[in-house]
Amino acid sequence: MKHEIVETDVLCVGGGIAGLMAAIRARELGAEVVVADKGNTLRSGAGASGNDHIFCYMPEIHGQDINEAIQVWRKWSVGGKVAARRGAAWMQTWFERSFEVVKLWESWGIPMKYRDEYEFAGHAFPGHLVMTLKYAGQDQKRILTTEAKKRGVKIVNRVNVFDLLGNPNLTGAVGIHTREDKVVEFRAKSVILGTGGCIRLYPGPTPGWMANTEWTFGITGAGRAMAYRFGADLVDMEMSYHHAGPKYFARIGKATWVGVLRDPQGKPAGPFLSEPSRKYGDVAGDVYQTLFEDYAKSGRGPVYMDCRGISDEDYEYMTYWLQNEGNIALLSHMEEEGIDPRKHPVEFMTFGWTHTGGVYFDEKSETSIKGLYAAGDEFGSGISGAAVFGRIAGENAAKFAKGAELPPRNPDEIEDRKKLLKDMRGRELGPSWKEANTALQQVMVDHASSARSDTMLNAGLNHLRRLKEKARATMIARNQHELMRCMEVLDLLDLGELVFISAGDRKETRGTHVRTDYPFTNPLLGEGLHLIKNVHGIAITDWKEIKR
Amino acid sequence: MPPVIGKTKCDGCGICVNICPEDIFFGSAKKQVPQIAYPEECWHCGSCKLDCPREAIRLRIPLPAMLCYDSEPA
Repeated sequence: MKHEIVETDVLCVGGGIAGLMAAIRARELGAEVVVADKGNTLRSGAGASGNDHIFCYMPEIHGQDINEAIQVWRKWSVGGKVAARRGAAWMQTWFERSFEVVKLWESWGIPMKYRDEYEFAGHAFPGHLVMTLKYAGQDQKRILTTEAKKRGVKIVNRVNVFDLLGNPNLTGAVGIHTREDKVVEFRAKSVILGTGGCIRLYPGPTPGWMANTEWTFGITGAGRAMAYRFGADLVDMEMSYHHAGPKYFARIGKATWVGVLRDPQGKPAGPFLSEPSRKYGDVAGDVYQTLFEDYAKSGRGPVYMDCRGISDEDYEYMTYWLQNEGNIALLSHMEEEGIDPRKHPVEFMTFGWTHTGGVYFDEKSETSIKGLYAAGDEFGSGISGAAVFGRIAGENAAKFAKGAELPPRNPDEIEDRKKLLKDMRGRELGPSWKEANTALQQVMVDHASSARSDTMLNAGLNHLRRLKEKARATMIARNQHELMRCMEVLDLLDLGELVFISAGDRKETRGTHVRTDYPFTNPLLGEGLHLIKNVHGIAITDWKEIKR
Repeated sequence: MPPVIGKTKCDGCGICVNICPEDIFFGSAKKQVPQIAYPEECWHCGSCKLDCPREAIRLRIPLPAMLCYDSEPA
């Protein structure tokens, strides 16, 4: 196993939107910057093959009262999305700087206008503010990568960073090359986590075909897991939400469909729309988390996205944005199967449990660890939040690194981790990563999903801990690619354990966190963020006060 | 089973191998038609199809992911 050492001022872990925006800004401020990405920044992360809308607050369009706009956005975020749970200072910063990012992207060549105008549409209540700006983001990753390289950012592709280094002070991070038998040790003055959300903790809509996920398959909560192991504050790890979309083909993009969610008799399922509207989309799929399940269970289902009656212009509008949103596979599937949304209502569903807890970071993108920053879906904030807080993380990480010395390295830290890697590569027999991942998903869905109670959670946690020990001791990797997958599963096992502990500690029902033994929603617990952190190997829970 | 590569169109340029987020083409030889080593890890992002300069790639959607729809609505 080769061992390469890379030294830098600022290390960005993950080269998605957050990581690249952070890198660009830190480099502009004079820091040496390295981005490590387990894929290739040209097409990696949740924005790999595109996005078509970004949150943006423009005072001249949405009014000068920023607080009113924030309240509208919080209403849309019910049902477990992170924006509903963020503090006032964070929301204010996000809103204030969102247009700055839009203007920057426009200057770099990402088309932020539709027919020469800013176009706001989707994810909105009829008659209320619409704050999602349509943009043609199919090439966004190539453009952001070019901007980063232009400024002298060093991009290291195909390296999966799996742990932070230093004890007690942060000194860098360590990863494996996903194609060569090599460990890469990064020595850095500050580190920015931008590894995205957490997929594959719970099963998707087709458990027999695991890669049918609404978000990128390889986004497995690496940032959360390494931050936790290092001792950083994680928050709301028990919270989840359900993403809605076309039945069996897990895809984001529901607000891009110009249609109405209707029952088989054609009656609208939600209270917001009676006719298709490209301006608003049918927000029922956003705010009514159990809509599809309720209809099926009550004999009124299924629920269809019904686009019948839309004009040809609306249909072109819809397919144009779906293409930009990375939905070319969905569109080509419909074309090949003869599915025409103008004639055929398409059944919708919710895809399962998307974990929404994450690494706590404030309006300066600071985590609870000195020199460690986080952005984007490390604690879900979507494309706009990734861009804004990535930029802020870059600013503050560069300032932190300025004048600081490169911290000394401790070779023993690497040797411990190399042993684990060598063991997994060296075994001839044992479970694959997929076998372990499947076992994890089944205990998560059976013991920590829709009906949580102390007894179910305790039983599930005991099983998960046995599973974790066994996976760590027996998993095999035939090559570096499989080793990367094994490391992902070890992260997911750590995060699953935190979900069980946090869910057991939140003794109330809130959103999708349904405690059958505590059905009451305690207003006092809604004020704070639920904290969990690693103190000498023990998970400690607490509440973090947040001013909303 | 995700990308299907037209062998007569593909010139082995390696762009898809370079950019695939999930590295499903792991182990592909340079200047050859890529091998799809891990088809079950493809999540149909379509990056390979978007970036293929010879339009040699189509995406086959696995049977479990087939869309449900009403073919004869009232």
